[in-house]
Amino acid sequence: MVSLSTAQAAPVASPFNPEQQRRFDEGLEKAFAKYPSEYRRAALLAALHLAQDELGWLSEPTMAYVAFRLDVPPVRVREVATFYSMYRKRPVGRHQIGVCNSVSCWAMGSEKVLARCADMLGIRPGETTNDGQFTLEEVTCLAACGYAPAILVDNFTYVENVNQESLERLIRDLRAQPGIEMAPGPLPVDPYAGQAGNTEGH
Amino acid sequence: MAGPKLLSADWDKPESWTLATYRAGGGYQALPKALKMQPQQIVDEVVKSNLRGRGGAGFPTGMKWNFVRKETSFPKYLCVNADEGEPGTFKDREILLRSPHMLVEGMIIGCFAIDCHRTYVYCRGEFRKTAMARLQTAIDEAREAGFIGKNILGSGFDLEVHTVFGAGAYICGDETGMLESLEGKKGYPRLKPPFPANAGGGLFKQPTAVNNVETLANLPVIVNMGGDAFSRVGLMPKNGGTRLFAVSGHSKKTGVFEAPMGITFKALLDEYCGGMREGSTLKAIIPGGASSAIMTAAEADWPSDYDTLKAKKTMAGSGAVVYFDQSVNMAHALANVMRFFAHESCGQCTPCREGTAWLSRLLDKIVAGKGEKQDVDNVHQIARQMETKTICALADGAAMPAKSFIEKFRADFDALVRG
Repeated sequence: MVSLSTAQAAPVASPFNPEQQRRFDEGLEKAFAKYPSEYRRAALLAALHLAQDELGWLSEPTMAYVAFRLDVPPVRVREVATFYSMYRKRPVGRHQIGVCNSVSCWAMGSEKVLARCADMLGIRPGETTNDGQFTLEEVTCLAACGYAPAILVDNFTYVENVNQESLERLIRDLRAQPGIEMAPGPLPVDPYAGQAGNTEGH
Repeated sequence: MAGPKLLSADWDKPESWTLATYRAGGGYQALPKALKMQPQQIVDEVVKSNLRGRGGAGFPTGMKWNFVRKETSFPKYLCVNADEGEPGTFKDREILLRSPHMLVEGMIIGCFAIDCHRTYVYCRGEFRKTAMARLQTAIDEAREAGFIGKNILGSGFDLEVHTVFGAGAYICGDETGMLESLEGKKGYPRLKPPFPANAGGGLFKQPTAVNNVETLANLPVIVNMGGDAFSRVGLMPKNGGTRLFAVSGHSKKTGVFEAPMGITFKALLDEYCGGMREGSTLKAIIPGGASSAIMTAAEADWPSDYDTLKAKKTMAGSGAVVYFDQSVNMAHALANVMRFFAHESCGQCTPCREGTAWLSRLLDKIVAGKGEKQDVDNVHQIARQMETKTICALADGAAMPAKSFIEKFRADFDALVRG
């Protein structure tokens, strides 16, 4: 591990409400317990997952709070958060539709699936609908290549062998579900637009 | 025709992922047997079995474990690589979904063999609510049954199993990228030596065996049938056992098929996948994931083992086989593959960061109909210059398809360019 001697003295304000705080604290304790005590900072990825589960995305204040709880410099948290594509650095829609664009899905018509999604939602890949309901994005290989084309819904749900009919049904069903409430945003200026880690623009 | 089902025998049973189903099919009989053996005896059997790493590199598993065993620094770790993400590859997900206890039993045996008492399963984040939920349930069941924890089955052997998640980065499938990520950092692969198996090179600088999910799932089989018998299941020398081929593309059936290691791509297609789909003729084969060199239809009779394919300048990789039909223009396919590598290059090494992005731009230009003959030549030349100049294998894995697609399907490129 890098030497981390810049422990912050002043507590950083938590972005969570009490119920979220309880779940975050519980999850973080479990994550810490997985590592030798001198390496508990290894729980950083887990801490970011926990924070995003609660808030839907990782704002600067959220990253600062995670840094405080893990006793690492905020830049270290930002470095990790921007490296991995699952961490969201801006608010997204309450439902996220990720269309796999890698080679097996491509060979089975994923470009048409993406275009059809864009049509139905009235947005381009990388955008969020005006009502905040849907974000459409391209994602790289989901490891579902034999059941192509595949879609990842809300980060964790696989929808496979997608055709026009199942796609329309999926979007209809999602419209009826509330999905995750995003923490307030967006940032006035998005510091990460176009940088590595964002799936937009690829 | 079909070879033995060593890994997928239970897959069609109802609730194949439960402890009850696994035990009914003979599961957890290898573990007590293994715990009565000397750890070195187990590794010796694995050496005899000719089990090769199923993640992509095909390194002999027994040899890797002997490296770790020789180290005198403790603790030692075993890390399970479940960060499946090579385009075309989806067989580890199938193990996690359909027979997670095979992995659990295999990793307990693996840990005992290398004297490891704390193991981590590093899994891609997208699997959390599906494949990894199944594995987590299996781990809990195994702990409840006394297979994980203190003094396992009265042997005096203790083991803790932890699951951790990545967050969407192909590079973390590289073993040292994965170790960095496990330590809570961005997944920059490490310069070697020291290798992960050696002190200073592994997780938290300790000697570490990094093994793929499928590799470990073979361990109960090897303990049960013995290394020699396992080795003989493979059709080619030094390539033991079966392989879970992840087949996608335009074959009649797609999915994961268990076939003897070394089966030819033609036999895999005809005997397991029902041939090509209606109206399709085989045009090209990706033999081992997107980073392997492409094969033509005329090369379909090549055996699929590591050594043959290496000699043929491609690789068996992760066992991900994509059969393309005549509808695919290979320049478009390569442009797709290269967008993936450009997106997933971690940016640490200049030849890879700049090279993959450059190749991707050139190929996008070619498939947009704006390219010239010189652009195709440039793709080939840039790819050659990227090889063997970087810390990890991503750049080589991008160069291999770039070169071979052009060498074997030049007409598809020329049809799109001027000059």
